[in-house]
Amino acid sequence: MTVVSPAAEPRRGKPWLQRALPYLLVAPTLIFITMFTLRPAVQALWDSAHSRPRANQPFAYVGSQNYEDLFNERHFIGRQYVKILHNTLVFTGGTLVVSLPLALLLAMLLNRKIRALGLWRFCVFYPVLLPMIGGATIWAFLFSDSIGLLNTILRSFNLGTVPWLLDPDTVLPSVIAVNIWKQTGYFMLFYLAGLQGIPRDIYEAAELDGAGLFRQFWNLTLPLLRRTTLFLLIIGVTFGFQTVEQLEVMGRGNPANRSNMLLYYIFQLRNEKLNTGHVAAMTVILALILLIFTSSNFFLFERGRHDEKA
Amino acid sequence: MKHKLVFVFLLLGALVWSAPALAQDEEIVLDFYYPAAVSGPLQEAFERYAASFTEMHPNVSINVVFTGSYGQTRETVRTEIEGGGAGPDVAVMLSVDLYSFIEDGTIISAQQYIDLLEDPQDFVDDFFPAFMLNSVDAEGNVWTLPFQRSTPILYYNKEHFAEVGLDPEQPPRNLDELIEFAELLTNDERDGIQIPLAGDFPSWLFQSFAIAHGQNLVSHDPTEAFLNTEATKASLAAIQELGDRGVMPVGGSAWGDTPTNFIAGAASMIYHTTGSLTFIRNNATFEFGTGFLPSGPPNEDGEGYGAPTGGGNVYIFDNGTHSEAELQAAWEWAVHLASADIQADWTTTTGYIATRPSAWESEALQNLVAEWPQYTTAPAQLQYADKEIATYRSIDVQVMINTVLSDIISGNESDPDLALEIYQEQIDSLLEPYRGE
Repeated sequence: MTVVSPAAEPRRGKPWLQRALPYLLVAPTLIFITMFTLRPAVQALWDSAHSRPRANQPFAYVGSQNYEDLFNERHFIGRQYVKILHNTLVFTGGTLVVSLPLALLLAMLLNRKIRALGLWRFCVFYPVLLPMIGGATIWAFLFSDSIGLLNTILRSFNLGTVPWLLDPDTVLPSVIAVNIWKQTGYFMLFYLAGLQGIPRDIYEAAELDGAGLFRQFWNLTLPLLRRTTLFLLIIGVTFGFQTVEQLEVMGRGNPANRSNMLLYYIFQLRNEKLNTGHVAAMTVILALILLIFTSSNFFLFERGRHDEKA
Repeated sequence: MKHKLVFVFLLLGALVWSAPALAQDEEIVLDFYYPAAVSGPLQEAFERYAASFTEMHPNVSINVVFTGSYGQTRETVRTEIEGGGAGPDVAVMLSVDLYSFIEDGTIISAQQYIDLLEDPQDFVDDFFPAFMLNSVDAEGNVWTLPFQRSTPILYYNKEHFAEVGLDPEQPPRNLDELIEFAELLTNDERDGIQIPLAGDFPSWLFQSFAIAHGQNLVSHDPTEAFLNTEATKASLAAIQELGDRGVMPVGGSAWGDTPTNFIAGAASMIYHTTGSLTFIRNNATFEFGTGFLPSGPPNEDGEGYGAPTGGGNVYIFDNGTHSEAELQAAWEWAVHLASADIQADWTTTTGYIATRPSAWESEALQNLVAEWPQYTTAPAQLQYADKEIATYRSIDVQVMINTVLSDIISGNESDPDLALEIYQEQIDSLLEPYRGE
């Protein structure tokens, strides 16, 4: 006697449309992913292994040459690339080191019953709502050398001016400051949600046990927000590596690429049609870095969920 | 009934089919692309030029299309043609893009039409020779016609000059005087001199130093660039000295800030493009003068002045789909744009330097010069001007030159000599495949 699986039975009789429906429904997404994600990715891989001596000649296979050039001190791109990679790391790290603690502090301040709470929260969150390009333009004016607000203030106290965006040593911190201003409010929102998810009775119990405010923070708040912090770290790094807009209005990576970053540099070189092989190699490296972070996001949180169940 | 309907359709079909044949009798529409790098009523001006052109050539009309910045215009044109489109018939683009388009094979040379003129030499001679340097290839063939051109000059604040006891009618003539004057002019409130060398485009003003020191960064040969030279090193030293003496911000100033600083009195002298003359004229609340960029060490002719040129030329496009009549009309339109009348009008509209001496004899420009003698500095300085950076792989070469100069000038290159050597090597390896053709 044959056993007919119960699931297969009704399926046989289904009209073709019903069977094809799931495929039809994913088809538009699949087509777009193929066109705009998969195809460019394959193209970038191919490009990164090819080069051409003249713009109107065919591409020739060069193996890993393009990748080697990126880290070769005696190659003009290598001379910039390592510096730009370093900038991106400093920028990302610098932003997170300041903005995460600041966001947590603000979230704790704004998580209590104070007057005009909505207004305070709005003020902190407002930079997030501004388009980056607009916000950066305002900052570019504040930082401007002789007519900028910051230098005008310095001058009025006879403190001597700082060429914020022109001095190689101050340009990166200036750009980081803008990024902190922009992202702290966003990070704060997550912390605020995290704080409100912590039951109050835990604190009451801690208080009964005689834990002071600092102890409560260190042993309760911080560990309970671990998940939020981890998540913010990962998206913070992803944001950092995707920085483009503010660079366009805040000196385009100048002076001397001291404020330039990976994605913007790729954009600049691609835009100028400089050797597509090097640009593709940089793209592949950037994509790999981002892949590592986004997938770690996925795995860490998946694992976290299993922990909870266990 | 049915037959009638078929008949009507046939008739309609015949009409539609024959329409192009009827119109073929020389009804030409030229697509003309132009970028904007300055403000002003540009579209309105081009519409006027198009109208006056159609008056002379009733069968030709011009479709004037604004295409953004120079860079966007170049990308628009390239993308259209690469994608199988016809592209524009005529476009204004950076003069330095010449070899990129020659390599693409999408433009046609103006020389073939100039040769058909009664007096070809006369036609070419009526442009300032300095402007033609970026129109011709190594063999002397003319490809493009100068249209909206500029050159950097020195602007100085006459009130500041008088205040420190300098003659307000005498700008510094050479780099020694520049330093001497700038030292007198510098105080807590202002820099003696600002030169926009900070930013991603230091090469243009750097070229004026290099030319003044006897060796431009490029020559008439589009397969050569001269980066690792004594002139480059001497120029870098001169720039370094201005910073060291505290009369110029170390590393230079930003391009856009420089004219603003000048009108705000925060800089007593600046190097900037003639394109800023109209802005400065309209906004300065003080008397200002203009002068040649100070000279370097004297050449054999006793002079050491030097400046590059800049700006856009008229290109005629053909990717093989344009008819002979269309190309002829495109050439006529290019000549119209480069004519003395239009050049004079374009100068008063925008502040670009009219590209031919005859335009400066026109009433419009004579009036302008009578009121604002500052406008005469640039055409007079053109006799010392030289070619802007245009080679094969021009964009790539410019990026390399600008990157290394920016590194060195901003003090971010620990070993400038080695950097110049490396970049020269890289440029040579890029240009090597083009040599010996």
